[in-house]
Amino acid sequence: MNPFRVALAVARKDLVSEWRTREMVPALAQFIVLALLIGNFGFQIDARNAASIAPGILWLALVFAGLVAFGRTFAAEKEQASLEAMLMTPASPVAIFAGKGLAASAMLVVCEAVLLPAISLFFGAPFSAGVVLAVLLATIGMAALGCIFAAIVARVRARELLLPLLTLPLWIPFIVAGGQAVQTAMGLPGSYDQAIGLLIDFDILFVVLTSLAARFVLDE
Amino acid sequence: MSIVVANGLTHRFGRELALDSVDVVLDTGEHMAVLGDNGAGKTTLLRILATALRPTSGQLQIAGLDAFRERRRLRHYVGFVAHAPGFYPALSATENLEFFCVLQGVDRTHVEDALQTVGLTAVAHRRASELSRGMQQRLAIARSILHEPKLLILDEPDASLGADAADLLGRIMHGRSVVLATHDQALANRLCPRTLVLRHGRSLGTATHLRVVR
Repeated sequence: MNPFRVALAVARKDLVSEWRTREMVPALAQFIVLALLIGNFGFQIDARNAASIAPGILWLALVFAGLVAFGRTFAAEKEQASLEAMLMTPASPVAIFAGKGLAASAMLVVCEAVLLPAISLFFGAPFSAGVVLAVLLATIGMAALGCIFAAIVARVRARELLLPLLTLPLWIPFIVAGGQAVQTAMGLPGSYDQAIGLLIDFDILFVVLTSLAARFVLDE
Repeated sequence: MSIVVANGLTHRFGRELALDSVDVVLDTGEHMAVLGDNGAGKTTLLRILATALRPTSGQLQIAGLDAFRERRRLRHYVGFVAHAPGFYPALSATENLEFFCVLQGVDRTHVEDALQTVGLTAVAHRRASELSRGMQQRLAIARSILHEPKLLILDEPDASLGADAADLLGRIMHGRSVVLATHDQALANRLCPRTLVLRHGRSLGTATHLRVVR
């Protein structure tokens, strides 16, 4: 059985379900715009400090949107008892996990498509390909970690509380490297290449680790 | 030849003993019913036999393989209808089954046959959320036979099925080894020559058409 086909089928199923129900993406996009509005009123932002403050608000909005997006990936499967049905097939748990991660990342990327232009609009922060690349690279690793912890906590009642407690500490490397990359891409001093290199390293590390863990987390 | 051999299956949920040293032997092609009151341990036993749950202790062999070590290999072999249908509400009946075809590694052409077997061809395009409970149960049965398993584990498949439940179940059970949990003694008698009776997690023995032969 082709694991890529399984992963794509799982991702497609999640994206088609989201497209038809529109349960998550519109709510996340709304949340992001509200977070930016609050940021806009909460900080005195002008042309001089936009590049220092905007990245912080960007990562805050992204982190909380990510928690909601990844938290729902396995919770919905658990609620409708479809996770067990998937695991009762010969399909590899790693492929199922990859498909879930792919779909959750795609939904977060849609939200980022709202977030990045909006941050430029609200704060006047420069918007460039460098910012987009940093955010997309961080999304990969954050998705891998978010999904594995979402799979772990899906079985417990207090999952909404546990997911941030487990996930946020391990997202810190992405926020640090991603924050630095976005700040330098917006014109502050620092090494953009070094930050992007770090993001790629973290992506490889966490994608490999979570793929190895997925088999045990989903199978047991 | 026996397709299922289980010895001393015991399962605890915390301190609660759900299943207490139950033995099961099922011959190839044999149909066996599992009867018992609510909380007797039927679902726990069936979930263990379907390899969806690891018992606290005991051994289980399916088709000569250790069911817990070779769990993934046995997935091709076993079809399971669980208590909850477990479908994607936004996808149609056909889309749900096509998705599970990919996961089972079988051709999508199986979908049409499965839908026809359970009598859902007319509503194949409807979303799972728009199907009645009985139709969802039929869809769960269709999913369990997509990969043409040799062993079927059916946990109260007659729930909400309606008047033709026995005919439908008879059709899908034909030529397969089956363990069927139900509350309906008449259905058990009609479909299964042998019945295992559970009470408080313990086996009371097997019966032939409800004449207990402990």
